[in-house]
Amino acid sequence: MSLIPGLGLAKGMALTLRRFFEPKVTIMYPEERLDVTPKFRGRLQLLYDEWGTLKCETCFQCAQACPIECIDMGGMDTRGRYHVHWGAPETYGERREESALRRSGRPVPDPAYRPFGPIDLGALDRILEEHDHDPADLLPILEETQEAYGYLPVAALKRISHVTGAGYAMIYGTASYYGHLRFEPATAEDQARAVADHRPPEARYLAALGSALDGDGRSAKAARA
Amino acid sequence: MTKILKTPASWPTILLGRAGAADPTDLDAAVAAGAFDGLRRTIRDLGGAATVAMIAASKLRGRGGGGFPAAEKWQAALAVDAPRRYVVANGYGADPASRTDRTLLERDPYAVIEGTAIAAYAVGATESFIAVRAEDTAIVGRLAEAIGAATDAGFLGPDAHGSGQEISVAVRPVQGAYMLGEETVLLKALEGKRGQPEQRPPHPTERGLFDMPTVVHNVQTLAAVPWIIREGPDAFTAIGSSRAPGTILVSLRTPAGDGVAEVPTGTPLRDIVKLGGKLPAGRAIKAILVGGPSGGMLPPDLLDTAYDFASLREAGAHVGSGSVVVVGDGTDIVELIGVLTRFCSTEACGKTIPCRIGTRRLAELVGRREAGRSRPTDAGDAADLSADIVASALCDHERLATLPLMSGMRYFGSEFDDSRRRQPARTEATHG
Repeated sequence: MSLIPGLGLAKGMALTLRRFFEPKVTIMYPEERLDVTPKFRGRLQLLYDEWGTLKCETCFQCAQACPIECIDMGGMDTRGRYHVHWGAPETYGERREESALRRSGRPVPDPAYRPFGPIDLGALDRILEEHDHDPADLLPILEETQEAYGYLPVAALKRISHVTGAGYAMIYGTASYYGHLRFEPATAEDQARAVADHRPPEARYLAALGSALDGDGRSAKAARA
Repeated sequence: MTKILKTPASWPTILLGRAGAADPTDLDAAVAAGAFDGLRRTIRDLGGAATVAMIAASKLRGRGGGGFPAAEKWQAALAVDAPRRYVVANGYGADPASRTDRTLLERDPYAVIEGTAIAAYAVGATESFIAVRAEDTAIVGRLAEAIGAATDAGFLGPDAHGSGQEISVAVRPVQGAYMLGEETVLLKALEGKRGQPEQRPPHPTERGLFDMPTVVHNVQTLAAVPWIIREGPDAFTAIGSSRAPGTILVSLRTPAGDGVAEVPTGTPLRDIVKLGGKLPAGRAIKAILVGGPSGGMLPPDLLDTAYDFASLREAGAHVGSGSVVVVGDGTDIVELIGVLTRFCSTEACGKTIPCRIGTRRLAELVGRREAGRSRPTDAGDAADLSADIVASALCDHERLATLPLMSGMRYFGSEFDDSRRRQPARTEATHG
C-alpha cells in the first residue's frame, strides 16, 4: 500500500502513456512484409520413394509435435476406410477447399514444385558415373548437373539421392546454400550475374568500396538499392 | 594480373621472390630460381620430425587472419592416430576486394604447391587440396598445369622426390559463399555438404576432412614454408615483428593507386598506405578500413599502428583478408559501415541464432542511423548485442561481423551523431 493514494495507478498510466507515443514495431503482416533472409530454409515438401509413392505414411507425428500447430494434415487411414485428420477442424475444412499454396498468398505456384515432372536422366547418369557415385563429390556433381540442365531439377536431385545414397534433405541443404546453384532456369538477371562474376552482395560491397575511394558517399547509397 | 606495388629495397621478399617470372608455370625456370629445393632438403636431409621442429623454431603463424602457430597444427595432427591425414591450402580469398591469395597463386603457384607438399610430407598426408575461387578460371587452370608439371618431374606423385611416400596435390575450385574462407566451412564444402562451421574443439587437426586429421593453412602460410627450410628459421625470425615474424601480403586500395604488396609484419600502417603513392592534391584520408568486409574502421591518427595480428586487434581491426582500404574524406562513414554490416549479415550461414538474427538486428540499427531515425537506446543495444554475438561465436565470421560497426562507433562517434542531425527524426505513423 503506497503512502500517496493513487500513486500506483498514476505510475501505471504514465507507463501506458509513454508506450503510447513510442514508435510501433508491429507491421501489418500480409500487406507489409519484412525481407526474408535468402538462406531461409522454409520449404517443406513431402518426399517420394523410388517407386513414386509418397514416403509420408500419415503418422501425424509431425502435426502432433508442432508446438504452434502450424502443421495440420489429413488423409485416408491405411485401409482406405475413413478420412482422418489432425489439427483444428476449421483450418482443416478450409484447407480442403483451397490449396495450401494458394492460401499462403502466392499468386503463382512455386516453380520449384513443377520440375517433379520427368526429365531425361541420361546426362545426369553419365555425370554420376564419372564421379563414381560418390556423395563426397556432391558439389562437383551438382555443378555439372546445373551445367547440363541449366538448373537443378527436383527430379535430378532425387536421382542423385537415390543413386549416391545421400539423403535428399542433405543434398537440398547443400544445393540451397551455395549462391551459384539454382533451382529454376536462369533468368536474364542470372546470366548478367554470371558475366559480372560477383554475387549480388559482393557486388554491392565492391561498389561501396569504390565510392569510398572516390570519397563520393552518394554512390554507396546507390549500391545499397 | 594484379599490380605488385614497389616496396622499399630494405624490405625482404619471401612470398613474391619469384613473382617476376615471365611464365609462372615454367617449371625449369622456377627450379632454377630455387623452387622444390625446400622439398628436396625436407625429404633428403631433414625428415618429418626435424621439419616440424624447424617450422616451430621459425615461429611461423597462420596468415589466414587467426595468426595461429603453424607448427602447433602439424604437431596436433601428428599426435592423432589415424589411417589418413589431409593438408588443405585455403586460397579461396573470400573477400572479393582483396587479391592477396590470388596474386600469390597466379604469380608463383610452385611456392604454394611446394609448401603444401612439405606440410603433407611432414604430417604424413597422402592427399592434399588447394582450394581456390572457381570464378578465377585462369588461376584454376594455371594451378592444374603447375601440379601436372611437378608430378611429371617427380616432385609429387606416388613416390614423391624418391621419398617412398605418396604426395598428391589437387586443385579444388569452390564458389558461391563468403563463408568458404572459414576453415571448417571450407572442409564442409570439400566434403560436398552445406557450408556451415563446426564446433571446435575437436579442431580440424584432430577431426577435419572426412573426420580425419586435417591441417588447413592459408596459401601464404604454406608459401613461406619452403623459404624457411631453405634459408633457416633464424633468417625468418629476423624479419618483421618478434611475435609473428615474416612477411604478409597486403591488398592496398587508395585513391592514388592500388595493388598487392609484400610487407614485413609489424610495419606501421602509414608506411603501407604510402606504397599506394601520393594522395591527389586536396584529398585527405578520412579512415582506413583494415581487414575486409568484417574489418575495422580506423581513424587517421592510428596510422602508426603496427600491421600485425595483436596490434590490429587491440586497435579494433584485424588482418583478416589482408585488405587495406583508404577511405576518402567525402565518404559517409555511417553509410559505408551500413554496407559492410549488411554484407556480414547476408553472408552469415545461419547456423547459430545470435549470428543469424543478431547481425540482422545490427544491420537494421545502422539502417535507422542512416535514415536519421535511430532510437535513443540504439547505441547501448548495439554494444550489448555485439558483445553477445561475439561471446556466443562459433566461427571467426561471427566473432568479427560486428567489428565495422563497433570500430565505427568507437572512432567516428560524431559521424553517427551528424547523420542523426542531418535528417531530424520523423515521428513514425502510429499504425506503422
